[in-house]
Amino acid sequence: MGRDARQVLDETVREAGDRVRAALAMRFRDLDMAEEAFAFAALRAVETWSRDGPPRDPAAWLYAVGRRRAFDLGRRAKVRTEAAHDAPEPAPDPETILMAAFEPIPDERLRLIFVCCHPALAPEARIALTLRTLCGLSVERIARAWLTSEVAMLQRLTRAKRKIRDARIRFEIPEPDAWGERLDAVLATLEIAYAQAYEDAALASDAADLAGETLRLSGLLAKLLPDEPEVLGLAALIRLTESRRPARLDPAGAMIPLSEQDVGLWDRGLIAEAVALMRRAAGLGRSGPYQLMAAIHATHAARMETGVTAWDDIARLYDMLLSVRPSAVAEVNRAVAVGEAEGPAAGLAALGAVAGQDRLETWLPYQAARAGLYAKARRETEAATALRAALALAPAPAERLFLERRLAALTR
Amino acid sequence: MQYLLLIYADEKLWAPETGTDPSVFQEITAAHMRLGAELQEAGAMVGANRLQPSDTATTVRTVAGSQSLHDGPYAETREQLGGYYLVEAADLDAAIAWAKKIPGGPNYAVEVRPVHVM
Repeated sequence: MGRDARQVLDETVREAGDRVRAALAMRFRDLDMAEEAFAFAALRAVETWSRDGPPRDPAAWLYAVGRRRAFDLGRRAKVRTEAAHDAPEPAPDPETILMAAFEPIPDERLRLIFVCCHPALAPEARIALTLRTLCGLSVERIARAWLTSEVAMLQRLTRAKRKIRDARIRFEIPEPDAWGERLDAVLATLEIAYAQAYEDAALASDAADLAGETLRLSGLLAKLLPDEPEVLGLAALIRLTESRRPARLDPAGAMIPLSEQDVGLWDRGLIAEAVALMRRAAGLGRSGPYQLMAAIHATHAARMETGVTAWDDIARLYDMLLSVRPSAVAEVNRAVAVGEAEGPAAGLAALGAVAGQDRLETWLPYQAARAGLYAKARRETEAATALRAALALAPAPAERLFLERRLAALTR
Repeated sequence: MQYLLLIYADEKLWAPETGTDPSVFQEITAAHMRLGAELQEAGAMVGANRLQPSDTATTVRTVAGSQSLHDGPYAETREQLGGYYLVEAADLDAAIAWAKKIPGGPNYAVEVRPVHVM
């Protein structure tokens, strides 16, 4: 026997697992059955491949055995509902059917993504379902990412799968008249997943696998829908943000703001991929929020080449973003960019114009931005007040360290 | 497969004392008629009704086996069940497409509920 069976299986699952899982799910129109059939095939693979050596096409093997298993499961369920007694079952002999005609594994990943991300499902259920059914992440891992218990996450997944079955969510690519709404739901799902993975850079190793999955998913979607500019925009946005992961924390674990990061630590490969995606998106001539957000991040990334940040360009891009997708985050970030481009007084004026000031007082990004602008304007007392307000809002450990240091520097 | 489309709206809009322009009411009624015809045409219509206002409702409640009557709807909310369509649709997307066509005032909600298959 050549390579270790376990090793071949891990590699196959990593490279083709999503494809096999999606093909099983679509073939049987049943997510639970597909999950069980895939698990069974993987288990059989270890036994069989250790004994006989890995097959020529391990992915096709997994699909064939999983499909056979799903047939058996389906037959058993039918027997259960149709007759009181258990009919004798033919013993499954997956090994013998293996060498027989392998049919190519159909690529059903896009259809599965659309099912998992149906807008009739709650956003948090959508992303959990996608990570579980398509990416094969464990329930425990997904629960950990969303700071919930494994039991609660399992219930959420079960409920979503039941709704898909009982409300009859269609296992098809959406019709043209529903396309926009359905695609938006897919993009929002990926965006939420990545935001979760990005959340705390201090937990880099733990969040990295989740970030890796969203990176992969967004890339897959861009490959499957190469003519949807917003899909390309989101894939670029995730790549640009992820490219900075190695530069986000200093050795003590404190956050380093984007404009102070060591560009030498940025992942040039990811940035190049993002630029290519954005170029293709621009060629399609339909702008949108994800492309604009990617453009903002690409402008930051350009500091790698030019040594400076074009803050006026960034402020202008935020204006455009705000006109298509208004949000408090974008308004606050715009104020910071204005502060850099035109000076702290202009930045503070822009920040003062953000709507809903009373609610902003208890919002960490607002207080952090305010502190930065006051410090830049050499209004130390106000900067310190804003920093203390920010620190009272339970920042994540990396941000807490950063804010504490700023405060210490001011009150020295 | 059948789906029940439940229409929830603020009934005050239709109360005479609100003084809503009758032509608004007529237009919405006409739109319901058109939708009914479209559903018939598509072979999707199973049933549809407008309900009397919720102040005509009686709720029969059973608690620990003993029953009592309550004057009013099951839940006292601003938006009340005001009518329904029962449609035949291939899947949830098709049912949602019908739900989106249901007319109403400026604010209302339509709940899409699949009918349990025996």
